[in-house]
Amino acid sequence: MVAGELISQSIVNGILLGGIYAVAALGLSLVFGIMDIVNLAHGHMLMVGAYVAILVFAATGITPLVGMFIAMGLLFALGVVLQKVLLKHVVGEGIEQPIIVLFGLALILQNIGQLVLGGDARTADLGIPGSGIDLGFAFLSLPRTVTFVVAVVLIAATWAFLQYTRTGQAIRATAQNRTAARYMGIDTDRIYVLTLGIGTALAGAAGALLSMLFPIDPFVGWSYLLKAFAVVVLGGVGSILGTLVGGVVLGVSENLGALYLGGGYRNVVSLLIFLGVLLLKPEGLFGSGGGGGE
Amino acid sequence: MVSDDSPVTRRSYLKATAGTAAVASLAGCAFGGESSDDTLTIAGTVPETGQFSSLGEDLRRGYELGQSRMNEQLDRDVELILQDDESDAQTLRQNLQQMTSNNDVNMIWGSFSSLLVTAGSAFAENQNLPFLGIAFAYEEPHRNDNYEWTYSPFPKSRDVARSTLGTLDLIPEEERPSRIGIWEPNSGWGKEQADYWENRLGEEGYNIVLRETFEIGSQDFSTLISQSQSADVEVLLSNPTPGGGITAVNQMQSNNWSPKMLKFVRGADPSAWWSALEDAGAYALMCPGWVPGLTGNGNQRLRESYTSEYDTEGEYMPVNVGGSYNLTQVALQSVQAAGSIEAGDIQSALRSETFQTVIGEFGFEDNGLPAEGELTAPTGQWWDGAQRLAYPNTDSERSLDFRYPIPPWSER
Repeated sequence: MVAGELISQSIVNGILLGGIYAVAALGLSLVFGIMDIVNLAHGHMLMVGAYVAILVFAATGITPLVGMFIAMGLLFALGVVLQKVLLKHVVGEGIEQPIIVLFGLALILQNIGQLVLGGDARTADLGIPGSGIDLGFAFLSLPRTVTFVVAVVLIAATWAFLQYTRTGQAIRATAQNRTAARYMGIDTDRIYVLTLGIGTALAGAAGALLSMLFPIDPFVGWSYLLKAFAVVVLGGVGSILGTLVGGVVLGVSENLGALYLGGGYRNVVSLLIFLGVLLLKPEGLFGSGGGGGE
Repeated sequence: MVSDDSPVTRRSYLKATAGTAAVASLAGCAFGGESSDDTLTIAGTVPETGQFSSLGEDLRRGYELGQSRMNEQLDRDVELILQDDESDAQTLRQNLQQMTSNNDVNMIWGSFSSLLVTAGSAFAENQNLPFLGIAFAYEEPHRNDNYEWTYSPFPKSRDVARSTLGTLDLIPEEERPSRIGIWEPNSGWGKEQADYWENRLGEEGYNIVLRETFEIGSQDFSTLISQSQSADVEVLLSNPTPGGGITAVNQMQSNNWSPKMLKFVRGADPSAWWSALEDAGAYALMCPGWVPGLTGNGNQRLRESYTSEYDTEGEYMPVNVGGSYNLTQVALQSVQAAGSIEAGDIQSALRSETFQTVIGEFGFEDNGLPAEGELTAPTGQWWDGAQRLAYPNTDSERSLDFRYPIPPWSER
């Protein structure tokens, strides 16, 4: 392999990784854009989703691609309960109270994970042997390609739901103007419940996908929360297309940064991009300041 | 408060004080002096939760077996107080602070990894207490921090490099690989170990074709894998965390690349390696301080004690049980040689004596490093779910002929 192929391989790996970053960020972006709260427990919900897929796989042998739907269902329920029991009292009461509640939830999830499953890293097996497609200029790892395709399908499905269904349109309307939406007969409380449910379900899906590629331990929540933040800022809050592009840009940048500067600088590169976008284009690449989709 | 203008109260106070002093003095003669002086109290921590939790039980078992042995061999009681440090340096310091405040501690042991061991060591140095630490290959703190109380009965970075060279020498010359790749964790020990590998193997004619850094905690090794493949790396050396090592092998498999020889010091130490990777983790080498297959100096007795105490029929003990047991052998012999449990006497014994343990016979330099070249730095290899001795050669049935090369993924 020559240097040019190393570059193209890094770009391909970055694109494949970026798809999962995008799913990880999508739920965060959705909740932030519609409910105006920063879900600090998003990374830990992702961790829970990953553990669900791993445990289902370990107990039954069901591939995490199927386990992902179980994780999404459980996480949707968690989001619904969270909104109905805890967050409904603090949403709209300023930014501090939801942040404190969600920070506490993150710590609780982390400690439950540690208590129940210990601190060991765990992985699930996609059931695909170590093989892939040699494109000549790069090697397409099959597990990464499969997870990327699933990620893109999930993102497209979310976009279509928000764009073409009445519930999706109600969610977008609530994001644009909650009071006006209420005057138009939209049950905004129900929309918030649904939004948090979808956001956490997407975190669960991202976790299940990640569990097929990377080991998961109870502490990974914070690092994926940071990556999700970077993607949201890069792509623009509430923008689904922006989230996908942001994820891919982050994945490619990290890989090229690791190639040229060394692996020790991988996260420095993503942080620099994050700060650069905040400085130069704070609304992000596709940001409009709100809205549930294009 | 006792006032001078209230004579009765003042007299009572003086009586009470004198009485208390007398009773305390008698108690000291009759009970306190003998009993507290006789008991050797050891404080230690193990990572039973947190990122190193998969190793906590093994460390605890090794320490507890050692404590039993010390109770048999010493003419005094040995009390071992172990707490969970949660794989966290701050918790470790808090635990040690609490244990030493509440007990008359004579010695400190543990925990795992250079990060936690240096935290325990710093505390012990401050308290002027003898400290023994394993899973601590990092040499630089010994040389730069002027250790006086810290002793490490464990292979250091230079010994790991020596063991790597010895393992390579087991391969017939005509088949021996020459292209070495080093993945260097972005840490002090990572750099130190990479320097030793590069210098030692380079001096012997090996070609270092790749040396790249990665961040500890990194989740994505795909760039390093591509670079290693591009550089045609035959022997891959690194010292990642256990989680990092498992991640890296997972991704090697999904990228369909494998070196001919893989040595992940510390990364491949825990049994979680096999439970996470199974056959994908076979052939991996490690240098954990002790490996089943070593003989002499109490190895047989250690195995018998372990199987009887923990009711296990497994032929191969976890490597960290042996490593921590070796530490207790040093503790036992240092107290025997000192003839007392005074910190200074034990320190003198640690500096001057030679110790026979399950990893050989060795003494310490004044800075707490094991004397160079003396202890055995065994290299183990994962095979069929067990860690077995690959280097040096012994006649134990728990050792194996070093398996090389690692077959491609499609043939495993």
